Amino acid sequence: GGYMQSPGGFGSPAGTQAEKKQRMRSQNIVPCTVSQLLGAEQVDETFRICGVEISQVTIMGIIRHAEKAPTNIHYKVDDMTAAPMDVRQWVDTDEAGGENVVVPPGTYVKVAGHLRSFQNKRSLVAFKVMPLEDMNALTAHILETVNAHMILRKNLTSASKAPQSFSSGMGDMSGYGGGGSLPVSGLTAHQSQVLNLIKNCPVPEGMSLQELKLQLHNMSMSTIKQAVEFLSSEGHIYSTVDDDHYKSTDAE
Amino acid sequence: MGDVHEVPRRRIATGHLAQHIGQPVCFVGRVEKIHPTGKLFVLSDGEGKHTTVELTEPLDDEISGVLEVVGRVTNQATIMCMSYVQFREDKSLFDLELHNEALKIIHEFPEYFPFG
Repeated sequence: GGYMQSPGGFGSPAGTQAEKKQRMRSQNIVPCTVSQLLGAEQVDETFRICGVEISQVTIMGIIRHAEKAPTNIHYKVDDMTAAPMDVRQWVDTDEAGGENVVVPPGTYVKVAGHLRSFQNKRSLVAFKVMPLEDMNALTAHILETVNAHMILRKNLTSASKAPQSFSSGMGDMSGYGGGGSLPVSGLTAHQSQVLNLIKNCPVPEGMSLQELKLQLHNMSMSTIKQAVEFLSSEGHIYSTVDDDHYKSTDAE
Repeated sequence: MGDVHEVPRRRIATGHLAQHIGQPVCFVGRVEKIHPTGKLFVLSDGEGKHTTVELTEPLDDEISGVLEVVGRVTNQATIMCMSYVQFREDKSLFDLELHNEALKIIHEFPEYFPFG
């Protein structure tokens, strides 16, 4: 735990999407593989994955090499996805010695830090190098990494630009509409769900309110009717044979 | 031959051995048995399927529990081990079955967990 849950900051869905995308930076710590860090796009000092600027990242791997210098500890951390990555952790020279103990090679660690590039070689400047006590954290990191990068990729292609949380805890997408589709800009989760069902209805006379109620178990009829009214006034759907049947204006 | 630790090593389960002949891999499994010569041992993956791991030099340590092996898949679909590490289980047991499920996911979505 301890990671930010709420995206915050990016309120309005509409407007200058291109500008917003330019400066879209992940507010969270993104779990990554070494291969993903090596593959990140670089422009000057900033790195991007799927167009999102990444700042703090975590990797998880085994220490292959550890060397203590007066002001820093140099590690090589191996997560099997590429050659081991250079990790540098600055030592607090005021500390009498206890704080920054060198983690020995052969230890699995979680590293949190910032990606850097110097003379075309990428490395991490770590603010935390933490030996794993529970190796199940490795499995968790693998799953969190897939989840985070899947979300990054979806953000790139979807109309919605609200940044998502990459926090630990297995990727809960439940705030974003049912049926596995991401919401259209400006619609609530309920409105999106109703719209998606109507869009996917192959029948010529469209989807009836009764059919919607059957499919959307946890939505009351009045909520469905409100959603239909809104979608209709916005031009996303239109009524067909009667006021109980609707089709999507987005033709296949 | 080169140092297998400097290249990507795909994380695999027993079922993936056949598709990775000659490839550098990383295999996590539980020690089932050790050959008396100490040059061969058998690991089981999260689905209980066995993989044979061969060593160039006999083991000089006792091995038990969950091991992570780095090596290359031989033509006989065994793994020629270059190094191994034991997963600590002093604080919590390692859920090998769940790990197998994670492997299925990274094999299904290599674009989100790339090797190389």
